[in-house]
Amino acid sequence: MKLAWWKILSVFIILYVIIVGLLVPLKQGITAVTPSSLNAGTSVDLKIIGYNTKFNSDSKIRVWLKQDDEHALESNKIAVSNETEITASFSIPHDLPFDTKVKDFTLVVDNAIEGTTVLPNAIYITKNDTIKGDFVNAKIENLTKANAITFPFRNILAETIRNTYFHVPLWFAMFALFFTALINSVKFLRTNDLQYEYKAAGYTYTGLIFGILGLITGAIWAKHTWGAYWSWDVKQNMAAISVLIYLAYFVLKNSFEDREKAARLSGVYNIFAFMAMIPLLFVIPRMTDSLHPGNGGNPALGSQDLDKTMRMVFYPAVIGFILLGFWLSEIKFRYEILKAKVLEDLE
Amino acid sequence: MRKLILSTIILISCITNVFCQAPNADFLHSIGKIYVVVAVIAASFIGIILYLVSLDKKLTKLENQIKK
Repeated sequence: MKLAWWKILSVFIILYVIIVGLLVPLKQGITAVTPSSLNAGTSVDLKIIGYNTKFNSDSKIRVWLKQDDEHALESNKIAVSNETEITASFSIPHDLPFDTKVKDFTLVVDNAIEGTTVLPNAIYITKNDTIKGDFVNAKIENLTKANAITFPFRNILAETIRNTYFHVPLWFAMFALFFTALINSVKFLRTNDLQYEYKAAGYTYTGLIFGILGLITGAIWAKHTWGAYWSWDVKQNMAAISVLIYLAYFVLKNSFEDREKAARLSGVYNIFAFMAMIPLLFVIPRMTDSLHPGNGGNPALGSQDLDKTMRMVFYPAVIGFILLGFWLSEIKFRYEILKAKVLEDLE
Repeated sequence: MRKLILSTIILISCITNVFCQAPNADFLHSIGKIYVVVAVIAASFIGIILYLVSLDKKLTKLENQIKK
């Protein structure tokens, strides 16, 4: 085995990613609020179900319904049923929501021992506009700051947010491998040295495997968050197309008897394939609406999708998977070079 | 080599068994969908292992060719 420091590094990084990525807990969140809509001028008991929460009757819990920055209503009584369930009582004044008839309210829960949790669009309040109300704004202040190391809680994702460390780096690694293949193809076309052609093919092959794995892991993730294995999302489609373009690279390569000719043609095709992949993966998905984060106009990897704790796992994961990809492709092209040599000798 | 293929097949069937026996995805959705993460990690691991198995096969073929 040809040992190099980066091979060992890739193993340790991926080990770190699996262990830390699975062990760091999620921040507490709110999964359900019932009822989900109510009328102004009534008293109501909101049942709030939390995830990873530590509701405790001894700790100070405060609950608000927030319309916007100036209008919030505080709960007047809170009963703790267990660690993940509380009941907050509100008496909704007649003049809420302010200025409109129907409005969605954000639920804010502050627990003195674990921090603040927010659930947007938690509840809809409909106004009965004939009666004048007595709304008094409750200021949301003195919120508890959480200082535990956690990953963010998102309602659709829940624990699957950890897939960011496996599904996304596979694509990053695929891109890095295809880029290395491109460099090797250009080198081959300039020098006509077949060694570069074998390298290009090896990097492309591993990149293709990573791309297919990215599609499979993405489909599993999509099934349990978006509801279907394949939702014809623009990024899914474009990723599938670029994988198919690279599949054609091997079809082209193996369809010629003459090895020189096949090498030159596939070298040129590799440059085309890479150039075709850039708009497919990085331009088109940003121009239309997509289920993927970082698309539809907003930049990728913003603070909405990745927080500081996640970055501490995500960036090593990207490096680890890229190094693993280089390792796998190295084995592949060393085998191909050896095979060519052996067959030449046998002839 | 055959043992390797056999053990991979057994491994895959075990994992798919675990996920298929789950009644209407309730299992995958329990504990905040953590088993979806397990499935994703397992899928990428199996994929990389299958890649290594195919390379191993090719190497065995080449070794046999040299022996002849």
